[in-house]
Order: sequence, then C-alpha cells, then structure tokens
Amino acid sequence: MSQKNTTPLFFLAPAVILITIFVIYPIIKTLWLSFLSPNGEFVGLHSYFKVLRSKEIINLDRFPYKSPPWGALIHNAMWIAIHLPLTLFLGLFFAIVLKEVRGASIIKSIVFLGMVMPMVIGGLLAEFLFDKDVGIVNVVLRFIGLHPLANISWTYHPETALLATILSGVWMWTGFSMIVYSAALAAIPREYYEAAEIDGATSFRKFIHITLPLLKPATLVVVVMTVLYELKIFDIVYAATGGGPGGASMVLAILMYIKAFVAFNFNEAAVLATLLTLLTLPPAIWIAKTAVGRK
Amino acid sequence: MESFTPVLEAFTEKTGIEVEYRIYRAEDLATILPAQFESGMAPADVIFMWAWWIANNTDHILDVSDVINPDDFMPGTVDQVTVDGKIYGAPYTGKVKPGFWYRISFFEEHNLEVPTTWAEFETLLETISEIPGIEAPIASGDGVGWPLSDVTEHFILTFGGTELFQGLIDGSVSWTSDEVKAIFRDKLVPLLKAGYFSEPKDWTLILEDWWEGTHALYFMGSWITGMVDNASDLGVFSLPGAEAFVFGPDFMFIPKYTEYPAEAKELVKFLSGAEGQTIQVKQGGHIATNLGVKLDDYPEVDKRVAQLLEGATAVTDLDDTVGGEFQTTFWDQLKYLWVHPDEWEDVLANIEAKAP
Amino acid sequence: MKGKVSTVVAHVVALLIGVVWILPVVSIFMVAIRPIREVLHGWWNFKEFHPTLENFVEALNHPTTPLGRGLLNSFIIASLAMITPVFIAALAAYTFARFSFPVKTYLFLTIIIMMAMPQQMVAIPLFRIMINLGLINTYLGLILVHTAWGLPWIILFLRNFFLTLPIEVEEAARVDGASDFQIFLRIVLPMSLPALLSVTALQFTWVWNDFFLALLIIYSPDKLVATQRLVWMKGKYHTPWDALCAGAILVMIVPVIIYAVFQKYYVKGMVGWVIKG
Repeated sequence: MSQKNTTPLFFLAPAVILITIFVIYPIIKTLWLSFLSPNGEFVGLHSYFKVLRSKEIINLDRFPYKSPPWGALIHNAMWIAIHLPLTLFLGLFFAIVLKEVRGASIIKSIVFLGMVMPMVIGGLLAEFLFDKDVGIVNVVLRFIGLHPLANISWTYHPETALLATILSGVWMWTGFSMIVYSAALAAIPREYYEAAEIDGATSFRKFIHITLPLLKPATLVVVVMTVLYELKIFDIVYAATGGGPGGASMVLAILMYIKAFVAFNFNEAAVLATLLTLLTLPPAIWIAKTAVGRK
Repeated sequence: MESFTPVLEAFTEKTGIEVEYRIYRAEDLATILPAQFESGMAPADVIFMWAWWIANNTDHILDVSDVINPDDFMPGTVDQVTVDGKIYGAPYTGKVKPGFWYRISFFEEHNLEVPTTWAEFETLLETISEIPGIEAPIASGDGVGWPLSDVTEHFILTFGGTELFQGLIDGSVSWTSDEVKAIFRDKLVPLLKAGYFSEPKDWTLILEDWWEGTHALYFMGSWITGMVDNASDLGVFSLPGAEAFVFGPDFMFIPKYTEYPAEAKELVKFLSGAEGQTIQVKQGGHIATNLGVKLDDYPEVDKRVAQLLEGATAVTDLDDTVGGEFQTTFWDQLKYLWVHPDEWEDVLANIEAKAP
Repeated sequence: MKGKVSTVVAHVVALLIGVVWILPVVSIFMVAIRPIREVLHGWWNFKEFHPTLENFVEALNHPTTPLGRGLLNSFIIASLAMITPVFIAALAAYTFARFSFPVKTYLFLTIIIMMAMPQQMVAIPLFRIMINLGLINTYLGLILVHTAWGLPWIILFLRNFFLTLPIEVEEAARVDGASDFQIFLRIVLPMSLPALLSVTALQFTWVWNDFFLALLIIYSPDKLVATQRLVWMKGKYHTPWDALCAGAILVMIVPVIIYAVFQKYYVKGMVGWVIKG
C-alpha cells in the first residue's frame, strides 16, 4: 500500500528523533573519540594498536598455560567457548525431555526464571553458590571428593573466578535456549514423525534426520543471541567480582567502563567500545538480514 | 550516619541554624561535582570529600582561613588542604588504622604476649597457628579490597618509613624499586606463604570468625570498636617499629556557590572545633584531629588508639589519595597476591603500571 | 514396553531438572528467611530453624542503601519507561508495516542493528549529553534513555505483528474517510492488544532489571534503583548474606510476578520476534 502523504513522517518522527539523539549520535561520537588522543588531536589507529597490545586485552604471557588473568578479550572468548555449548545443549536437551512430559510447564518456568530476574543476581549467585562455607556447589564437590575445589571460594581465586561467573551465566541463560527450541519442536508437524515411523525409523534416526535439520533455524537464533550475550556480558561479572581478582574475570564491557569512568581515559575506553561493537557486528547483521527478510 | 546526627543536633541547639544531612558516595560526588560546579551550582553548603580532591578543586571552594587555625590540629593535617597559603578545607574526626586487634581474653587464655620485635612477632604467629581451633593466625578481610590494602600499607609504613610512603603516593618511588621489593620479599610475602594470613573472606563475616577464635589477629581500623559486643576485651598492637599510621580524617569544604556562606562557616567552625569533635569521639570509633579534644573524652578502647597516635606521624591512606584506576588495580592485585604470594613480583609490576 | 519406560525416564529426568535448577533460588530464599548465624555453615543445616522476616526489614531499611526506596525508584522508572516507548514504537512500526517511502529499508535496517549495540558504545557521549541537558541523575534522564534504547526491538516486534494483521479492515476504514492516525488508534491498536501486552511486560522487566544504564546516570542515594542498591549492598557496603539474599528476593519478585501473570505474552514476546510464527 503506497501513500504519498506526510503521515509516515509524523509517525516516525518521535522514534527517529529519540534514537538519533540517544543512540546513533553517541555511537558516532564514541567512534570519533577512539581516533583522538587525550588532547583532542587526531591520531588515527594509534590507540587501537596500544589497546590491542595491552596485557589487559590479550595476555599471552599467561595464556594458556598459567591461570587467568588472560586478558579481557580471551575471557570473552572463554565465555563463548564454555557458555555457548552448555546453554545450547542443555536448552535443547531440556526442550526434548519436557516435550512429552506432564507438568512440563512448571519445570520450564523454573528453568526460565533465570531469564526473568535481573542479571545482577547472577553475580550474587556466582559468589554465593561457590562460597566455601555457604555454597551448595562446594558441598557437592566435597561429596564427590574434589576437596581442593570445594574448600575455596571460587570468586576469590583467579583460577576459578571466571568459571564461576560463566556457570552462573549458564544458569541464567539456559531458559532462553530452552524456550526457543521448545517453540521450534512444537512447530514440527507430527505427520513427519508418523510418516517416518511407518517406514520403520527408530527414535534415534527420527531425531537425526527429521528433528535436527528442522531445528537449524532455531539453533541459529540461539547461537546468535547467545554470542551477543556473551560478548556484552557486564552485570553478572560486575556484581560478582568486578573483574577480579587480579583481573582474572575481567570482560571487555567492564574494562571499557573502568577505563572511561574510573581512569577517565575516554579515548582508550572508546577504542574498547568500538572493538566490542565490531565483534557484535556479525550477529547484528544476521539479525538485520533475517528481520528484513520477511516483508 | 547515626553517630553524626548528635553533633549536628548540638550545633542546631547552639546556633539555631537547621542542618539537613544527606549521604553520597565520595566516588559519585567526584563524578558529579565538577559538572555542577561548572554550572555554578552545588548540591550542598558543606560537603565532605577527600583532602586531595579539595586541594585539586580550590577554584570552586571558599577560603576558610578565617575560621581554621592550623595550630589547633594534629601536625600535618591542615597542610593537606592548604594551597598557596590559603586553607580550603576543615579537618573533622577520622579513623586510624593502628594495627592488629586481638581479644585480651584470648591472649590471656593462651599466655600470649604483645610482640616488641619482628622476631617476637613471627614467633607469636607460629605459636598461634598451633592453637587448636585456629584456622590461620591473621584474619584477612575482603570486599572491595581496602582491608588488604590497609594491612599492606601498614607494612610499607613500618618498614619503609613515611618518606618512602609519600614517594609511592606522588610517584617519585616505584613499586618495583629495591626498597619496596625488600619489604614484600622479606616481610609480607613470607608470612603469606607460611599461611599466617587466612583466605580472604568478607570482612564483616570474618570479624565474627575472629571474635569466635578461628583467628587471633585482625588488622582493622579503629571503627572496629563499634562492631564488637565487648569493646573492653579489645587490644591492639602495631607492627614492632611502627612510627607512623594511616590516619584518614574526614575533611569538609564550602563550595563557592553556597547561598549561605556565613552559616556554612559557622557549621564548619563548630564541626572542626573541639566541641564538635568531642561529641563525635565520645560515641566511639572516631579519633579527633583537634588537639583540644582531651584523652579522657574518649571511650576506653579508643583512648588506647589515641595514645598510640601521640608522637606518631599521621599520613593519608595511600590508595585513597591516589585514587582512580590505581586504587582499583591496587586492590585487585592485592587480592590476587593473597592467594598467589609466589607471584608477588608480577603483582608489584602490575601495580607500578598504574601508579602515578 | 519401551514406550512406558522412556516416558517414566523422561518424567524422572524432568523432575531432576526442575529440582536442580531451582536449588539456587531455594538457597537464596533459605538464607533470606533465616538468621545469619543459622546459615553460616550452609543453609542445609536444619539443627536450628527459626524463620524470620528480620532480614527483609534490614534490607528494606538498610542505613546507607535502603532497598525500599530503591524498589520505588525502579517501579517509577520502569512504569514510565514502558508506556512511552511502546506507543512511540507502535507508531513507527505501523509505518514500516504499511507505508512505503524513500530510504525505508535503510532506516529499518539501521534501527534493527541498534538492537545488537553494546550499551558501552553509547556510554561516554550519553553521559555528556545528560550532563549538558541537565538530566544527569534524574528520573527523566534515565527514562528517556531507556525509551530510546527500547525502541529498536519493540519496533521490530510490532512491525512483524502488524504485518500479520488483515489489511482489509484498515482499507475499509480508509474508504470511510478515516485519517491514518484514527485508523491506527481506533482499529490497529485494539487489534494488537496481545502484542502490546507482550512488549509492555517485556519492556517493564527489561528496565526493572537494568543495571548499566542506571549505573551511568543515577548517583544520589535517594534515586538509586533497586538493582544498583543490590550491587552496592554486596560490593561497597558488605552486607552479609542474610540481608543481601533478602534484598535479592525482593528485587527479583517483581519481574517473576509479572512473568507469572503475563506468561503467555511474555514468552511470545521473547520468541515471537525472533522466530517466524
């Protein structure tokens, strides 16, 4: 339907104005800041080289043979390497198990609770659940005999702080993966399975040849959104460890914040923000493509 | 907070001037005050801030040389807020970080004595670690990080002296210099490696543990007197040889943009005066900067601390004074050091990287 | 029979999942309702069990960072920041769904990409803008930012929804002489109630749960939002576990209740705009 009147202008104006002032303009400004020195001179990519070579971003002296800190970039990579597979597979597994179970909605709600509450509570959980005196994880570890791990509070030790925050993130995020897969599974027509059964397929073959391929779109969605989450992670880590101890759980988003609002080094902070944004571009473009795809 | 209100009430009673009191975090004030000052505004008529911040922002602050006399206060205090001969801040009371606190009953029970030499200190630690029920002789508080930085600064002050300490603050001394390395290598790190310091644990929770006997010594500031059930059971000793202590008095200033300069000066005069400070110290946990406050006005335990201060030099807290990224890095690195004392050289290098 | 066994197994596994997954929340709850002395060595010790509300009282009235005030602040900000963006976004989304105009695709794409933007990319200039506008440390400032930030995803969601509405109803109204705005207000919006409920519930929750934007903009103690208070309780003011866990329960209960009441719309909101259908 085509209208050559001015309605679109008026309808769009409030949104466009707000987004331009509070989102688009700041993005451009930050980008510009990243090319300047503290005195305001244009220095191009100078700060980028400095930041990328800094041990706070990538610490190859310690990675991978010594314990963290490994540098914020590597920590975010660890988030992706550990958090993504875990939430993906747990979410899929839960969705499958709960598909045909009575009372599934209650259990799904329980798993989804993590997505509903503020992420800062994940920070509280990271310290609380892995505390040597009051943590339930430690009790379990003690029970299965892993005493060295059980008798430390994970968030106070560089070896375990990062992992504690990541695992807490798994608890918070798995609900998302689960409901996406649940919706996708529910959308698969029964006839497909019935037809396969008539042909004598086992559950296993049904899963491999029908379910999995049809879950590809859902998987893409989960991967894209989860990677974005892992790149931008802030609340959980800030509340749990502030990035410590000794920077052992630091992530890019928090490092940017510290550089900007604690060290007042706005140019390097802008560089970090831009780098972080560059990393989020591939998922962002995928989202945009699929979103516009449906006209 | 609650202990400050009686002082304000006394002021109102005396002068008839009403005072409204609000609490902000100093870090947040440091962020918003510059912007407000640029617009000629201020959120209050009298503001408490760090001394170094006051000294750096004198363009926006009222000169109070007419109400503050440096000789009324502990030597060195007013200097922290004096710029170009003019006084911009007024000292209030503060908290001292005197040393290791212990329960007198605990020491008596196990026949322990306060050490007077380093060797005696080491022996004391060794003896304490043998006592059943003790997990580690010294409790390590945790949180943002200041409990660890406080005890570290005590070591630096005692074995490095005030000049070295000041040098670390202004950047003329490096954290990787030989003198500093020696303090860590020979004094602090061996104690850490020997397990005399406990695992860091939330500083209020570990206070309970320490009181119950899981630990014997706890390095803490003088506010601890207000945190235990039985303050008269509290004893404190400093590292043998300590002649200087971190004394962090609170400072107040009057922004130029106040609408009530005369009243603000009245308040500042009262608060920093002997009368105001006495009311504060009587409630415990505070040490006065005003020399007019008498020893007997202190509650028993604080008196011992005040006595420790007599003749000693007061310095400002190291990480508070430098602030910014240094402070967060300092705290973060110390937390790391506590669980990985073997990597102390890397820790010092990392601290130096963010040092002035 | 194999079928029966696998069903039983499935039910057992499902139960296990539920139990294991709810343990963290149960842990927080247990510490919140018991005096700290009882749980210092783990809440699973039930030698002494004296449930109490004192921790909640302490959290609500904490001397330096009272949660009660924080909850109120969060509520005010979240309510205002939920209505505004939904309405503004609905207008914009309707345009994208029904009208064509130059640069439409580019504009739409730009807005969508904003969804993935890290908040860190706007933090510094946003801070400065707020100071220059005199909006730093104000409710209005935070509400404006949340509004702007929420627009991209709400626009996407509503645009997709509007596309599914039968266009004939609107065309009929146009034939009758209704203006675009009247069609939007009187016909489209009422038909979109489910979608509007979804985005409203989600936006409220999103604003309630936010920490970073509040961290950036709000400073005075009386204006801090609930999430900030919780983090300060833990980080700066070293509240031991009892009040902290009580505080956590208080802060999480609002979004959980919203989820419970609006569950259908909530889930559709999360999944709907991301997966077709």
